[in-house]
Amino acid sequence: MDNHAILIKNLTKIYPPNRKALDDLDLSVNNSEVMALLGPNGAGKTTTIRVLSTLSGFDSGQVIVAGMDVDIAPDKVRQTIGVVAQQTGIDYFLTGRENMRLQGHLYHMKNNDIDDRIKELAEYFELSDQLDNVVSTYSGGIRRKLDIATALIHRPKILFLDEPTLGLDIRSRKTLWNHIEELNTNFGLTILLTTHYLEEADSLSHRVAIINTGKIQIIGTPDELKNSIKGDSVVISFEKIAESEQSFAYLAKQQDYIEETVWEGNNLHLYVANGAECVPKLMVLASQNNVVVKSLALSRPSLDDVFLKYTGASIQGPQEESTDEWWKQWAGKGGGKWQGKWVDNDNQDGNGETTSEESSQDKQWPSGTGQWNENDQSSTGSWQDEQQTGSWPDKDKWGDKS
Amino acid sequence: MIADTWHLFNKYMRITIRMPLWSLFTLIQPLIWLLIFAQLFKNFVQLPGNDSDNYMDFMIPGILIMTVLFGSSWSGVSLLREITSGTVDKMLVAPVSRVAIVLSRVLHSAVQVIAQAIIILVVAWIFGATITINPAYLFLGILIIFLLGVAFASISNGFAITLQREEPLVMIGNLMTLPLMFLSSAFVPKSFMPGWIQSIAIINPISYAVDAIRTVLIDVPDATVFIKGLVILLIFSGAALTWAVTAFNSLRD
Repeated sequence: MDNHAILIKNLTKIYPPNRKALDDLDLSVNNSEVMALLGPNGAGKTTTIRVLSTLSGFDSGQVIVAGMDVDIAPDKVRQTIGVVAQQTGIDYFLTGRENMRLQGHLYHMKNNDIDDRIKELAEYFELSDQLDNVVSTYSGGIRRKLDIATALIHRPKILFLDEPTLGLDIRSRKTLWNHIEELNTNFGLTILLTTHYLEEADSLSHRVAIINTGKIQIIGTPDELKNSIKGDSVVISFEKIAESEQSFAYLAKQQDYIEETVWEGNNLHLYVANGAECVPKLMVLASQNNVVVKSLALSRPSLDDVFLKYTGASIQGPQEESTDEWWKQWAGKGGGKWQGKWVDNDNQDGNGETTSEESSQDKQWPSGTGQWNENDQSSTGSWQDEQQTGSWPDKDKWGDKS
Repeated sequence: MIADTWHLFNKYMRITIRMPLWSLFTLIQPLIWLLIFAQLFKNFVQLPGNDSDNYMDFMIPGILIMTVLFGSSWSGVSLLREITSGTVDKMLVAPVSRVAIVLSRVLHSAVQVIAQAIIILVVAWIFGATITINPAYLFLGILIIFLLGVAFASISNGFAITLQREEPLVMIGNLMTLPLMFLSSAFVPKSFMPGWIQSIAIINPISYAVDAIRTVLIDVPDATVFIKGLVILLIFSGAALTWAVTAFNSLRD
């Protein structure tokens, strides 16, 4: 066996009728590596995890986990993996200990082995004093910890974490990061995690794979990815997007000092070789085209820029996080085939949003109209205004649309 | 598989025992029927061809079956809850027998229903019903209740898996229960029914369950009636369970 913990070749999965959730996806994860799958909603992150953890079937390709084919020996694969899904799989009506014990039994462990392991994991995750309380009394962070501890009860070699810190406050998130990191460094656990928090991918993982529309767009260490974007990144924010702004973006793209341009809401991201030199040129270009620049920022590329480049969408949108939660709550579904059913609609939005040009315009207009009043009052907003508008259009502005 | 079933069954029993009130709620409707309906029709109906002239006695098997139907039709709803909360996925990523997942749920539901039926029997006895208090006959009656519980819990789980939504599932559960009761010998003897209902009652497994329970718990026990009911229920519950297990196994997306 080679040193791949996970090996995926040409994996394609089609949800009926014909939506490709995974499209000829290739991925390999080394032993004792932490790999982050980073992507927008509907990119195929969860589907990948579900296929790897034998929960979902697939249409073509080959999936090897811990040297075993998931199609040929699913039970052996299950024995070597631990899975923490997006919805906590722990039972709220049982105590933490009962949850862990049941899970141990399901992996056919011996009673005293289970007890030893529970003690060990409870100490490790600092759960000991809560262990005999019913899970419904736990806080979100502790629930997550219990979820991970439960998934580790049978000493798996590979751990899958699907959005491990989704919905946690900063402090719980940081604690969880420490635990995840230690699991890898102290116990050599191979970890594949999905996330849409850039800093999570950046700080936790050895390598990051950016996934979109069911394909791995690029893979590498966080630094490699950042370096893959040459030079600097310039972000120009506009008050509104009209024809003149569109033509400005088009013109800018023609300039030889500009490598690439990407729209993100009201912001135009430009990747340039030398940021300091091209800012004046851009300002001249802007005034020639009668375009009002609201703010301009110059920075070294971040993982966000990498993400933007390969998925055509920024990852920080506030609605990204909330949609992921609300449809589940609203539909009251999730998991298994059931999840597939409900993810479908969500995914189609996601896919369209990330690639096509007209949809980026869709994103722009609501914030453009939302800022109308502000625009009337002064031609150049104050610094604070600029800072606000520099980011993704926030919920209030979206609200103006309706 | 047996060990897996046992551990999962244990889990469900633990949850049920932790929330006893919930199991009592499903008893409300059968109790209302038992106490009000039976009183209401006490003097109104003079039933021919019935050894006992107490209508409550006649009704008790029907009420017991109703308890089984109401109780076990919740099993599918709780399966959907488990699917939503991700606990089913957590089981599925473990090398646990797939059959055990369905079997443990169905067995749990059947055992829960037995407990409810015993409560109904006790209440009926307190209110003056004449029930055969012979451990052997009680056991046979409970066996029928168990099989019927397995059958309807399986049907409920099977529908839960195929429908995947709670609303239609609850609706089907409710839609099924009352017609099945009325189209059987639960509330009136067969000779009392119009012809077309009689012919439906003949193919309705509930009729045989009612007759079997009636013969061991209320009337003078008749072995042929009981064995006929037992065999039919064994086939019925076996078929329902097989359907539920196949539905669950074909779920991998």
